[in-house]
Amino acid sequence: MFQFDTLSMIFIALILLGVIPNLFYSSGYLPHIDRKVHYLLHYFAFIGSMLGVVVSANALMFLFFWELMSLTSWQLILTEVKDKNTISAARFYFLMTHFGFIFLLLFFLIVTNGNLDVGFAEMKNIASGFMYPTVLFFFLVLGFLSKAGAVPLHVWLPYAHPAAPSPVSALMSGVMLKVAIYGMFRFLFDVLYPWPLEWGIVILVIGSLSSIIGVLYALSEHDIKALLANHSIENIGIILIGFGMGMIFDSLNLKVLSTFSFIAALFHTFNHMSFKSLLFMGAGSVLHQTHTKNIEKYGGLIKTMPITALTFLLASISISALPPSNGFLSEWMIFQSMLGSSHIDNMPLKLAIPFAVFALAVTGGLAIACFVKAYGITFLGLHRSTNAKHAHEVNFLMTAGMILMSLVVISLMLFTPFYIGWFDEALAGLGKVSVYAKIFPSGIWNMHSVSVHGGIVSPLVLLASLTGVTALLMFGYKAMKVKERVHNTWGCGYKTGAKTQYSATGFAGPIRRFFNWLYKPDEHFTKQTIAGHQSKFSDSYYEVHVKPLFETSLYTSVAKAANFISYWVYRLAHFEQIRYTAMIFNLMLLVLFSYRIFSHEFSWATFALESVIMMISIKVFIIGDKK
Amino acid sequence: MIAYLATIVLLFLLAPILLSFIKALKMVLLFKKPVSVFQGYRNFSKLMHKETIISRETSSITRYAPFLVLSPLLVVMFFLPPVVHGAYYVSFVDAFTITGLISLSTFFLMLLGLDSASAFGGMGSSREAFISALVEPAMVLTVFSVSMMAGDLGVGQAGVNLAEHFPQEHMASFLFAGISFFILLIAENGRIPIDNPETHLELTMVHEAMILDLTGVYLALIETASSVKFVIFASLFVSLFIPLGLEYSTPIAILVFVAKLFAVAVAVALLEVNTAKLRLFKVPNLLGISIVFAFLSLITFYVLGA
Repeated sequence: MFQFDTLSMIFIALILLGVIPNLFYSSGYLPHIDRKVHYLLHYFAFIGSMLGVVVSANALMFLFFWELMSLTSWQLILTEVKDKNTISAARFYFLMTHFGFIFLLLFFLIVTNGNLDVGFAEMKNIASGFMYPTVLFFFLVLGFLSKAGAVPLHVWLPYAHPAAPSPVSALMSGVMLKVAIYGMFRFLFDVLYPWPLEWGIVILVIGSLSSIIGVLYALSEHDIKALLANHSIENIGIILIGFGMGMIFDSLNLKVLSTFSFIAALFHTFNHMSFKSLLFMGAGSVLHQTHTKNIEKYGGLIKTMPITALTFLLASISISALPPSNGFLSEWMIFQSMLGSSHIDNMPLKLAIPFAVFALAVTGGLAIACFVKAYGITFLGLHRSTNAKHAHEVNFLMTAGMILMSLVVISLMLFTPFYIGWFDEALAGLGKVSVYAKIFPSGIWNMHSVSVHGGIVSPLVLLASLTGVTALLMFGYKAMKVKERVHNTWGCGYKTGAKTQYSATGFAGPIRRFFNWLYKPDEHFTKQTIAGHQSKFSDSYYEVHVKPLFETSLYTSVAKAANFISYWVYRLAHFEQIRYTAMIFNLMLLVLFSYRIFSHEFSWATFALESVIMMISIKVFIIGDKK
Repeated sequence: MIAYLATIVLLFLLAPILLSFIKALKMVLLFKKPVSVFQGYRNFSKLMHKETIISRETSSITRYAPFLVLSPLLVVMFFLPPVVHGAYYVSFVDAFTITGLISLSTFFLMLLGLDSASAFGGMGSSREAFISALVEPAMVLTVFSVSMMAGDLGVGQAGVNLAEHFPQEHMASFLFAGISFFILLIAENGRIPIDNPETHLELTMVHEAMILDLTGVYLALIETASSVKFVIFASLFVSLFIPLGLEYSTPIAILVFVAKLFAVAVAVALLEVNTAKLRLFKVPNLLGISIVFAFLSLITFYVLGA
């Protein structure tokens, strides 16, 4: 029924690390929720179901808790229904999560032979006898990655996460997505073990695409929670890059590199849990004070909300993968695992891996840009709205939640060897080679890459030297006793005000313009010119909105196609009776002609003739004249 | 160990001289009366004696960020490749960490730009964010390729390896990586054609726009940071792509190294005199060239066989 092996324990730890600070935050947030009983009931059921997913040892329990997790989180999104958007976001989430659930159900029905009580070992036997393992793999990918939010099943994240109350978005983005990663680990390792090379490549491609697309849409986003949700897509992509590299190395029999990549993926899973929860809590506090999710209405909040600002800064540094943060360490490990691709003999694959390196590096660069934007526009400069002016630090419990979460971030940074040792143990328990001794061959100070000529990093030395040098410089500055004077910012002779600052739209402007072919932004620009002068205006308004490409191409067009087909089906169902006869006649013609083509000789001349006859009869009998 | 520390001090002292030298050389080439090569020191001491003006709109970020801009770069100074034979070098930090530390410095510089609520600062940050987002992939790919050729990802070890066993058979990929890295050197240090360090025109400013509101010691810190950044890139370039002179005796090796640094400075000055600054939206083309060369370098390395 339940099992508690090291992988489960790791994910229990992940959930608890994410949940405990969230409990504080949530209790601080509680007074602002109207439906308290509804909220608390689903909140605790949600946490319990996540724990249930990672400890269940058979398909029935797994599916039960998985579904419970989906339903409770769906209800949690609906806690504060303020507008129609929340309801449609929740409906979209409900649809997407059940889209994934169908595939999981199919997967389990196949690998358990219909008896959902069997354990994982038995499933493996059945799966190895199944003729089309790739089908099972795709069921898993669709099932888990629609929950994790990988491209192209990511579209629900930027809707569902902003709609939920802040503690819930922290939990959903920080923890629930990781439960889907747990599913990937559990069932790919325990049930579908010998992986063909192509599976790893599929995961790597999905990961690279998700990381770039996530960060690009995050940059163009003005809703702070949607921005963070898009970053979740990016980080899930990074995790999947590590995961995919692990699978590729495993199928090429490079076992040490494989374990290293999987450790990198697990480590990034933890890191993303920590900093993304912290970012959502910070965003929630800002939202709570300013009552708007629009980043353009913030500004200058560091002066009134110092704790939120400081913890948000820590998380921003970490998510931007800047040393010496934990985010840097896991991204470093993923880069190192990709550098290990020089050991691959398969030349096309070897030449393709640098493109994934490129994807990850672009993602890193754009993530820095995005978090400078998010932090700078939210917390720095002058307040851009009255609400931002009157904001003050959130209550004690909420700050306690944020501080606890930043302690989790710091602990991941300081105790990296401990966490890596634990991940290594879990992977060894799943039948992989242990590499801890190779990563830390000489004590905990230096982290080595396992590939030949790989890199080395010393997180603690870096942290100590950075703080040391900074402290020394600041001490020198203090010792100099420089005279300080406070004066206005220079504004070319004009007054510096909230309106003269750069806006988030303006900040992302160059990048948006460079990626115009992808964004295809929807721009609204109006101005009231004075006396017909083009360059003199009293009032102007510019707004740009980016509609996600995947949503328009994949989802909206599918919906349109369905509409189109249903229209024709409707037309068909309302024909006059004579047309049914005509249709039967045409169908018979089709059957006769195809019988001739498939079972007798084939010649282009008769084929063309028959096609013409078919077309004419369809035109004359079925479509008929235009009315 | 002495050679190691002496090199760091030497590089630190050379940093302002190199930038002033570029400026002086440009002025000579434009038939102007050149500034002294010690102008950097003069500016520094002038700024150190000034009072600091902090704008009313700023927050605590302005008080801390200048230190955080400089300190990662100072830390990187300790990780550079050795200049003389047998000198100590740091083997426990690799090239990725160095690029990360440089990004950390840029991160705080961009926050600093946004802190003063001035339109200039935001503009500079926005442009810098755009450029550095595109520099990142070229940087990582170049590092990747160089580490393959040098047989180590740590820059110290890589410098020594390249000086001792130069990979003749990979000359093509070596050259491609060199071109890519030189473009990065120009882009990261905000030189023409990416950015013009001497202008205060809002159409063209990138780096200057972010620090427009600083003065006194804070400005001195940022100016030091930009000269240190140049010397880091120049010394990485000469150690990795012109790996000559490590085998000579100590004084000659140091002389050769300094001469190579000045050669890079001359190259940058000549480039600056002979090209115009690119429009911001043409910059991606140049960085795209850098990315393509980095890719080519890796691909030729793989195809010609390791």
